Amino acid sequence: MPENTPQASQDKFSRMPDRLSFYLERGSPFHRLNPLTKLTLVFCLIILAFFGPGYWLPSLLYLAVLIPLSLWSGVGREFMRTSIRLLLPLFGFLFVMQSLFYPGGRTVLVSLWIFAIKAEGIAFAYLTATRILVMVSSFLLLLLGTHPSALMNDFARRGVPAPLTYIIASTLQILPQMQAKAATIIDAQRSRGLETEGGLGKRVRALLPLVGPLVFGSLVDVEERAIALEARAFNSRRVKTSLVEIPDSQVERLARWTMLLLMLLALASRAWLSFKSRV
Amino acid sequence: MRLVESIKKDFNTMTLVLIPVAIAINIVIGQIVLVLKLPVFLDSIGTVLVGALCGPWAGALTGTLSNIIWGLAIDPNSFPWFPVALFIGFVSGWCAIAGLFKTWWKVIITGILVAFTAAIVSTPIAVYLYGGITASGVSFITAFLLQTGRDLVTAVLSANFIVEPVDKVATALLAYAIIKGLSVRYLARFPRADNVSA
Repeated sequence: MPENTPQASQDKFSRMPDRLSFYLERGSPFHRLNPLTKLTLVFCLIILAFFGPGYWLPSLLYLAVLIPLSLWSGVGREFMRTSIRLLLPLFGFLFVMQSLFYPGGRTVLVSLWIFAIKAEGIAFAYLTATRILVMVSSFLLLLLGTHPSALMNDFARRGVPAPLTYIIASTLQILPQMQAKAATIIDAQRSRGLETEGGLGKRVRALLPLVGPLVFGSLVDVEERAIALEARAFNSRRVKTSLVEIPDSQVERLARWTMLLLMLLALASRAWLSFKSRV
Repeated sequence: MRLVESIKKDFNTMTLVLIPVAIAINIVIGQIVLVLKLPVFLDSIGTVLVGALCGPWAGALTGTLSNIIWGLAIDPNSFPWFPVALFIGFVSGWCAIAGLFKTWWKVIITGILVAFTAAIVSTPIAVYLYGGITASGVSFITAFLLQTGRDLVTAVLSANFIVEPVDKVATALLAYAIIKGLSVRYLARFPRADNVSA
């Protein structure tokens, strides 16, 4: 996919993500797990991080579960690099804003003019940041180790309606084409003298000449594709056979039920704690 | 069972093929807006378009899948915001059924209604998942309101109410402009074409 993206040299637009999934081909045991098992793991970690007991639980989940798993699946470097790229700006912003403006802040550590850094704010920012870290990086781990189409195939096999999996699979195909088209349109309009930098007014006026050709160009294909699908029994309700077999085992099924139980326990513990604090 | 029947009618093949294109429109226009550094998101034009042409349920599905695919392909941070996108599609679909997609000034009303919905739905997500401060510029207004003594929920909610209308009115108007640029023959193939014919 990246190879047919026109190279708009030194252009901000060429820094747009040119790759459409995070997936990395590694033959690790983690990669071979059933997609549903990995998805259950993701939800289990998120529920534990947000609802489980203990201030340090999210940090522990990250250090003791997510990092070892990423190393085990052979994607450790990419896992670290991508999570830093996705989260560092957010975390910087989070710590600055929460340490200054956290509503429950009492203990002033440093005070400068009208701004005061408060300990409670920093503590709260740390908890929020580690929770978000667990949420985003567990999804990232799933996506690094699972091809989106394997996920969709497994869903379809488990009875998720075909139109739904068609929409996701088809979008993942259309998206890079549209991004390439957008890059071409931006280049073409610029070479005709369209200004995409400068004052706000100029940039607002640049929007329509860029959006118009892109949208109408891609909507034209819709009708043709609908006819093609209808001619290939897309609306048929009969069970279709699949070319790719996705493995699943008794052990994994057991693991999924265990994780489900863990999630329920975490939710119950949160409910009990908030009930106790209210009485 | 009339509801199920009417939902089924909204999902004809044209709808199923339009949704992926609409999701791609959401994402690519969202990225063009980032390149142009405009102070809006404009990342739900496709969702509003599907809501108007194919009904509220198709709009809700488009919004939800938009965020899921944004999360799958670009940034997993977008998964937890899917309820906002869901309601944007759902409300714009009902607005279109109520006839609020027929002239440009009615479309502005649609935009405002969608904006209020988005503001209300995104507030609990921002508060409970992110502690009120998210990566977007809205958080500067939130921080200012916190500093003036508002509580967290009020601060986030009012910041959203300040920011959302501009974005969602522009989104609705752009979706309207796209519909006006399409031929009647083409539009007639979508299940809710009557919503937009004057």
